[in-house]
This record gives sequence, structure tokens and C-alpha cells, in this order.
Amino acid sequence: MKLDRRTFLTASLGLAAGASTTALLNRPKYHVTRMQPRSQVAILRAESYSHNLESILHSGLELFHLDLRGKTVLLKPNLVDYVPGNHINTHPLLVCAAVECFRRLGARNVLVGEGPGHQRDTELVLLESGFSEDLRQLKVPFVDLNRHELVMTPLLASYTGMKRMWLPRTVSEADFVVSMPKVKTHHWSGVTLSMKNMFGVVPGAKYGWPKNILHWKGIQESILDLCATVPVHFVIADAIVAMEGNGPLNGHPRPLNRIVLAGDPVSADATCARLMGLDPTRITHIRIGAQFLGNVSTERIDQVAESICTPANPFEVVPEFQHLCVTGSAQRDS
Amino acid sequence: MHDTQKLNCACVQELIDRQLPEGGWPFTTVTTQWAVEPTALALLALPSNSVRERDAAIRFLLRTQNANGSWPAFSGDDEAGSGLTGLALYALNGCCALGMVTNRAVQWLTESRGWESHWLWKWKFRTSDRHVRFDPDKFGWPWMPETASWVVPTAYSILALKYARGISQQDFVHLRIRRGVEMLYDRVCPAGGWNAGNGVVYGFPLAPHPDATALALLSLLNEPPNHFITSSLDWLERRAETCFAPWSLAWTILALDAFGRPMELVVDRLASVVDPAEVKDCATLAVVSLAFARAPGNDAFRVAHET
Repeated sequence: MKLDRRTFLTASLGLAAGASTTALLNRPKYHVTRMQPRSQVAILRAESYSHNLESILHSGLELFHLDLRGKTVLLKPNLVDYVPGNHINTHPLLVCAAVECFRRLGARNVLVGEGPGHQRDTELVLLESGFSEDLRQLKVPFVDLNRHELVMTPLLASYTGMKRMWLPRTVSEADFVVSMPKVKTHHWSGVTLSMKNMFGVVPGAKYGWPKNILHWKGIQESILDLCATVPVHFVIADAIVAMEGNGPLNGHPRPLNRIVLAGDPVSADATCARLMGLDPTRITHIRIGAQFLGNVSTERIDQVAESICTPANPFEVVPEFQHLCVTGSAQRDS
Repeated sequence: MHDTQKLNCACVQELIDRQLPEGGWPFTTVTTQWAVEPTALALLALPSNSVRERDAAIRFLLRTQNANGSWPAFSGDDEAGSGLTGLALYALNGCCALGMVTNRAVQWLTESRGWESHWLWKWKFRTSDRHVRFDPDKFGWPWMPETASWVVPTAYSILALKYARGISQQDFVHLRIRRGVEMLYDRVCPAGGWNAGNGVVYGFPLAPHPDATALALLSLLNEPPNHFITSSLDWLERRAETCFAPWSLAWTILALDAFGRPMELVVDRLASVVDPAEVKDCATLAVVSLAFARAPGNDAFRVAHET
């Protein structure tokens, strides 16, 4: 085939344009990186929700050598709704234990904040789930993130295509944000752990109940944008009684008798997924989050306290997420 | 028995004390960032003798209407419009005839719709995405543009359109109201009542919420009686027996009262749990005031102050 100069130039230009487009598409969509070379994760054994949780948690937190003196700590539990008998929310006793522990560690101010996604009456959820009384006794302020003062915040990743969001001032002004998820499967996102838990900082006053824009823009993408923008400094995951099946509201309780602590949300969620018998690298937001928010590989995670005990039967998930389940050797390798 | 009149006076005084200099209200006492929902609810709650405060609130809402006829959700919000437009218009409609303001808002409301009504999304929801039980042909209003319809903005919008005065394009408005009413019936929970708008997900019935149920019922007040309304009222009555949260109790009272159901015990419960000075949320304070001020024969949550 004869190649004249015109054809050669046209082909070259075409190739260059293709390469530029590919490079543009493959360009990282995050504008911040919080990766540390290694992550530390602690798995603590806790048989039940009791007043012993404070000593268990305190001994676990000591492993992380946190310097919280003079800082404002915002605890962000997962408070979705109250349905009698369903283990939907982070247990109030664990949140109260965290309040006491962070106070003992020298925090200047400890707040609890959440913006439930479906239930507009946050006080109803607080009352019926037992939070109101427990928080009152500890004299710890609760901030309804759905209705608090909002500030326009540029997003530090662009997976959704949104450039900025209104977020509560309380969140942006906190020195140390602790995500406290309930370990659950989720019918839209596969799992809801410390990263998905950050949906709760998105204010209903702007985005509605539910925060439907996050679904239309893509749940996995929204999780990544939010976690890039709102740094999760620490994770305390409630896996004492987790939830499997049709979570986040109507799954079945699944006791794991564990609390997971971690210094970054990716290693925390990867570890929780492994405890659930799920492969974290198959969960989109964990896999992509491992590029800039934390570590997913067990080789980069320093496991302290207990080791990961993989369940004989993975957590039950809805059919769309069956591919997350791993068994046998695959489970050990994940 | 508690003195609900005295409690209501305390609620009204708190609302007056918390009104911002520009005439609106914030959600909470720790900020000066106004929001439309507490402002509109406070305007509905203020008695007619609070002339200065009501005038300031009316002027404030008129001033904050977007150019396209909608209302933003709060100070600084963009001008695309929010799901609270119906509430703002409803509150203003109760105060005065508004001409252009009403017509622009009604125009925006009739054009606003949940994205599930778009042909592409309808096709998706009918073919590949069928885990939430709903009919995308029956659409209401979203919380914000480019999202799906939900119960609370739909109820606010229906109320606004039903009570809007002196508007043009009556037939078109009537059709839009019908479509919204159909949406509410479509999203009702299987055992009665409404939540945010998902009655059944993955074949599993979800629990209703008292406030969404009450608001949906108020917007359906003059609809022909049917089992959706009856079962939802029954559910609301049962739910009230174990409810102690002021916002939910107050909405429950307004709905039960509007439909002529007994609610004295619920009023007594609300009176026993509420200390107006301790209610930090201005929207809650306003609805509590409306609940204490209810009068026999009022329609929707339009209360005695106006009569």
C-alpha cells in the first residue's frame, strides 16, 4: 500500500487526537491524595453492646497514638431510620463510648452529627433509637447535619461531574472527622461502610430526603467525591451486630462481634468487607478509593489486635452484588 | 390537661424572637442563614395580630422569589428552584392575593416534574431498573431539578396549586394536580402511610413516616374518600400512640384534625413533651404552634389565625 504524505499526516493527526483523548479520559479524577504508604487497622473483639465498650475502645485507640489535644472531633454515626428489631443504626452505646474515649484523649470538643437520608424527623430517630437519652446524659451536642448552616464547598474529585456542593459548616470546621458506620450490605451500593456513611453529611435542606442527586449522579461516584472532599480522619465501624441481605434497612442481623478501627476509610472498608466474606477490590468505590484515599491491599495494611476471621459463608447480598462474594482460596488472596 | 393556648403563645413569642432582621427564619438558632421552609411555616403560624412580623415575612418571601418563579431552599442557594416552592407559595397565598408572583410560581410548578417522567428514564425504569415499585407515568415534584419526585415536595406543590387564587391556565393546573395526586397514591406504603417516596423496594415494604404521611394526607384533603386515605389515617393514629417527637406529633395533629379524627390525646402528648424555648429548630417550632392553634373546621394546615 502506497502511503502518501497527505495520508500519513492525516493518520498521524488522528492517532495524536486519539492518544490525547485516551490520556484525558484516563487522567485521575481526584485533586487530592491522602494515601499513606501503609495503613493501620485494628480489629477488636466485642461480644455485645455493653458498658464495657469504652474500655475495649480505649485500649484499641491507644494503638493509634492519636494526638487530639485541643481539637474538635466530629463523630458521624450511621443513623438512617428506626425500625423496631432491625439493626440499622450504629449502636448508641458505641457512639457514647467513642465520646468518652475522645474526651479522655484530650479533645477540646466532641460533637455527634448526622443527617438521616430518608427520615426528615431526626429527633424521632434519635428518640426511638435511644440516642437522645444517652447523648443527653453525656452532655454531648448533637448536630442535625440536614438543617445546619451550609457552606459552598469545592469538590476535590470529579467522579460525579459536580464541581461543588453545599456542606454543613460543622463538618468543614471539624479538626477530626470520625466515620462510625454500621457494617451492612446495601442494595444499591453493595456495602455501606465508612465511605458510604459520608452520605450523611450531605444536607437534606439543599438536596432533599432522600439525597436523590447522589443516586442520579452515581452512588459510587458520589462516595468518591465526598470522601475526597471531606477527610475521614478515623474510622470506628460497628460490626458487633452487622446486617446482611437487603440492607440498609431490611436486611437480617449478622453478629460479627467485632469493632474495626482504622486511620483511613479505604483500609477500614477493605477490612470490613473481608470480615463479611466480600472481595473489597470488587467494590467500585473501595477499589478506586485505593488510588488516593487509603490502602486496600493486605500487604499495605498493618493489622493489629485480632486478625481477619473470614466467615465460612459470605454475607448474603442482593443478586446484583453476588459477584462481591468470595470463597475459599480466593477469599484468602483478596 | 395542658394549657395549649399558653404553649402556643410561647411558641409564637419564640418565633418572633428568632425572626432575622431581613424577615426570614433560619432552621436553627445557631445560624443566621435563612431557609424557606422555616420561614414559610413561621408565616403560617404567626397570628394575624403579629402584623409587623407577618409583613416582614411576606416581604421577605416576595423578595427572595427567583426570576423563574421558584424559591431557593436557603440563603445562597442557586436560582434553579427547590421543592419548597410549593410551600412558599402556599404560605403567601394564605396572606394576600399576589397576581404576578402567584402566576410565575404556578407556571414554574406546572413545568417542574420528577425526572422519572422523562421518556428515557421511563424506559429504564420499565425495563432494567425495576427494584423500586412505582409507575413513572405518575409523577410529582422533586426536591431539586433533575431528580425524581418525592412525597414531601409533591404534597407542598399540590397544596399550593389547589389553593392558588386568581390564576390563569386553570385546566392545565388541574391536570398537573391530578398527576401529582396519582403519584401520591402510587407511592403509598402497602399498609398505608407514606415515607420519602419508596413504598416497596426489592419486594420489601418500607415503613411509613408520620410527617410525610400527614403532609400527603393534608394535600389529599378534598379528594374523594378511598382506602389509601383511610388506611393512612388509621396508620397515623396507631403510630401516634408511640410517638414522642414534636415535629411528627405536630404534623400528625394537623392531619388528624383536618380529617375529623380524634386527636386530643396526641395534643396532650405534644404538650407534655414540648418546651418551646428548648425547641431549637424553627420549622419544628412553627409546626408545633400550628398544631396547638388548630381549630375545628380548618382546611389543611390553614389554621385559626386566618378565620
